[in-house]
Amino acid sequence: MPHRALALFAATALTVTLTACTAEGGGGTDGGLVGEGTGEDCTIGSPVPVGAALSLTGAAGSYGESQQKGLELAAEQLNAQGGVEYELTVEDDQTDPRQGIAVFEQLTAEDGASVIIGPTLSTGAFQAQPIAQEEGVPVLAISNTVDGITAQGDYIFRDSLTESQVIPRTVAAAKAEYGLEKVVVMYANDDALAEAGGEVFAGALDAEGIDVADTLTFSVADTDFRALLTEAKAADPDALVVSSLIEAAIPLVTQARELGIDVPIIGGNGFNNPKLMADAGDAAEGVVVGAAWNSESESPENTAFLADFEEKNGTQPDQFAAQAYTGLMLIDQAVRSSCSGERDAIKEGLGAIEGVPTVLGELTINDERDAEHEAVVQVVEDGKFAVLE
Amino acid sequence: MLTESTVTFIALGAIFAFSFYAVLNAGQLSLGQAGFASVAAYTSVLVAPDPDVVGDVPALLVALAIGMTAGATAAVVLGLPTMHLRGVFLAIATLGFAEAVRIFVLNAEWTGGAQGMSVPKVVTPAIAWIVLAVVAYWFWRSAPTRYGRALEAIREDELAAGAMGIDVGRHRLGAFVTAGAVAGLYGVLWAYTVRLVGPADFGFTAAIDGLVTAMVGGTTVFVGPVLGSTFLTLVPEIQRALGVEAGWIRPFVAGLLLLVVILFLPGGLAGRIPRRLRVPDIAADADSGGADGEHPELRTRVHAPRGDVVVRLTGLSKDYGGVHAVRDVDLEIHSGELLGLIGPNGAGKTTLVNMISGLVPPSWGEASVLGVTAGRTPVHRVAAAGVSRTFQHSKLFGRLSALENVLVGGHLVTRPTLVRRLLWLPSARRDERAALTHAARCLDRVGMLDAATTRANALSYGDQRRLEIARALAADPSLLILDEPAAGMNQVEAGELARLIRSLADDGLAVLLIEHNVGLVRQICDRVVVLDFGEVIASGVPSDVAADPRVVEAYLGTEA
Repeated sequence: MPHRALALFAATALTVTLTACTAEGGGGTDGGLVGEGTGEDCTIGSPVPVGAALSLTGAAGSYGESQQKGLELAAEQLNAQGGVEYELTVEDDQTDPRQGIAVFEQLTAEDGASVIIGPTLSTGAFQAQPIAQEEGVPVLAISNTVDGITAQGDYIFRDSLTESQVIPRTVAAAKAEYGLEKVVVMYANDDALAEAGGEVFAGALDAEGIDVADTLTFSVADTDFRALLTEAKAADPDALVVSSLIEAAIPLVTQARELGIDVPIIGGNGFNNPKLMADAGDAAEGVVVGAAWNSESESPENTAFLADFEEKNGTQPDQFAAQAYTGLMLIDQAVRSSCSGERDAIKEGLGAIEGVPTVLGELTINDERDAEHEAVVQVVEDGKFAVLE
Repeated sequence: MLTESTVTFIALGAIFAFSFYAVLNAGQLSLGQAGFASVAAYTSVLVAPDPDVVGDVPALLVALAIGMTAGATAAVVLGLPTMHLRGVFLAIATLGFAEAVRIFVLNAEWTGGAQGMSVPKVVTPAIAWIVLAVVAYWFWRSAPTRYGRALEAIREDELAAGAMGIDVGRHRLGAFVTAGAVAGLYGVLWAYTVRLVGPADFGFTAAIDGLVTAMVGGTTVFVGPVLGSTFLTLVPEIQRALGVEAGWIRPFVAGLLLLVVILFLPGGLAGRIPRRLRVPDIAADADSGGADGEHPELRTRVHAPRGDVVVRLTGLSKDYGGVHAVRDVDLEIHSGELLGLIGPNGAGKTTLVNMISGLVPPSWGEASVLGVTAGRTPVHRVAAAGVSRTFQHSKLFGRLSALENVLVGGHLVTRPTLVRRLLWLPSARRDERAALTHAARCLDRVGMLDAATTRANALSYGDQRRLEIARALAADPSLLILDEPAAGMNQVEAGELARLIRSLADDGLAVLLIEHNVGLVRQICDRVVVLDFGEVIASGVPSDVAADPRVVEAYLGTEA
């Protein structure tokens, strides 16, 4: 018996030690968050602690990883610029509400973050953000697209466009381009984001006077859509309108083309992923997606971002990385505006952001604390997103 | 590390694990608890009053009451058609229920679909821990009661539990409904903690989380779920505090730790906690309380007067496919008689006693046993009529101590103490002490009092046989059936056993003894019946039967 207990102890100790090797030293901040100078010349003595609560593992892990890369690039560049140093702590909520809440509680503690970025998913945001609101810690959402996120309190901001900002534009542009009269709507009804997107699509189609011949629902976990697509094909629509996450989007698009559905497929935010072209190949041609970030934009901010990201990570960024990168840049803007890394100063600074040139375009944070900037409608052409004029 | 939410989630995880503990402790594997929690959460959020209007605590109390009722009701509705399922089949059926609830919630109008419903946050760590304390109190107090022991007996051996007079179906449903009610509490607390209740919170992953928590903690001691939840909730927190970098490494380590616990602590974290059981001092008790069975706390059975017919078999037959295991047996057993049943291997002896004790229904004929018709009456009713038995291959409750085995044997003569124990009534303590004393006496009668605290599966083979007899005796039977009790015993042990069996018959019991040891049978039995190929070939006093040429032929074969 003692042998077993000893072995158990040893194994536990070993595991903990092994993993602790990868540990980073955390650090608290002790005052000195108010600096001197303004704007570019602002100098703050202590590093400004920025917490990021991302879904690095679990169901939304692929989005979180992308966001982490964007944030780390931004932090690196800002710290190299000097004057204000950012101490970025990336935490994982494991796509689990319990972890999300726990992470927010830690980040909002006395010696915690001055501002929180995240969380990755809107559902997690609804559950965790009230903690920051109660503690008076500003939150900047970088990927949440559901309405009502910022309505939770005056400390909650976002730099991501909502589905209701992007989708009506997408529908209008597609109608102009393809002369849509009748469509079939398909959405995953067991995922909060896909379902919310489906509802926004329905509203936008109605507003544009486009007839919805049929509404079909499926599960995010589905991989075989042939039966549904056959049903959709029978309605002879001018386009398929699909709201789902990328995992379901790829087989859906592929199978639609296999079944001879050659009409445009209009996707929601979940389609905003280079994986679509990588995995669906030719089938992805003609997919129309509204996006908050135009990867083809030739603005100086975007050109630099594309080059730097590729150099650091060896891959092309996606929209999640671009929005995350922008998030930290906006926080820098807010900090420098009053040259203070304190929570309330950042909150004021974020609220005052207007017409700031970013990777996403000229960005303004409105009175509802939502972002306003140019949305772009893209269509897949020759394996790349091209702007749909 | 121990932030407010961590403390709350430890309690919540433990409560959910208790809903798995409730059924696992009774030997059932159910995965429907997430469904019960979902039903409870949605019902209470829909029906309960708004905390802003009536105040946080009253609103939550109402919600908890609604949730518990909803969870328990769902468990009854699901339990009635599924309780006859066992093992993986029950798990699949209950999983199907949980999935059906999830699909319903996704598609119903009022539930908010996948986006869920927003719920005010009302639960504080204190509230969560108070509810956990109440739930843990239930399992702590109910474990050492007649009800709690019956559940454990069902887990260890359902057949033997039924033969001891436990209504297996009702007890299993009871455990299932408890699981439903506790899962309901969890569902409500969860909703009022995380601010948003959605179908994803009650999916397959949630069910597996609950099961893992319960298994890691241990399913035989009531602190198990609390330990399991503390461990699993703190692993990510400790890693964060240690500064392990966020990302895949953390779930990887958590998985490794889980593996380590399961490998090195197969009984769970609480598996090493010893079960405390005080063996009563029966010598002292005998001095004060009079000789034997003079306990007003025990139910006493009215035994048939000596010489009355307790068993009457008429034309009893059993076919298995084309095999006639038992053919047309007519037999009477009288009170105070020690009847030996012998015959070569495969003669149908065990089939015959299985029919008498109600485990196997006859193909033809009738077995009237102590006023009930065996085979057409549930096993526990036959046991309640006064039939108690041992099994050819011992069917002890392996992980229970010898004394607890005998306590379960006394199920029929002891009183239910669950409610009174929850209320700390002194009479419950008296009844439990009487039950313990009774069990200790039965153990003493077979000479095994010294081994009272030993786990049944750690006993030697001979001791296991004797323990089975003690367990059967504890039911205060009118008819005792012993299926090869001397198998595996040495000469001395068999001799002691023979004296014990004889003394039982002399006390007025009807004893049916199946035995291979013909010497032993001849020595102690009043009458012997010989079975061969399912038929009675001889019957009478032992000396006559032994001389019967057909018996000699059956045992030794014909002379060439």
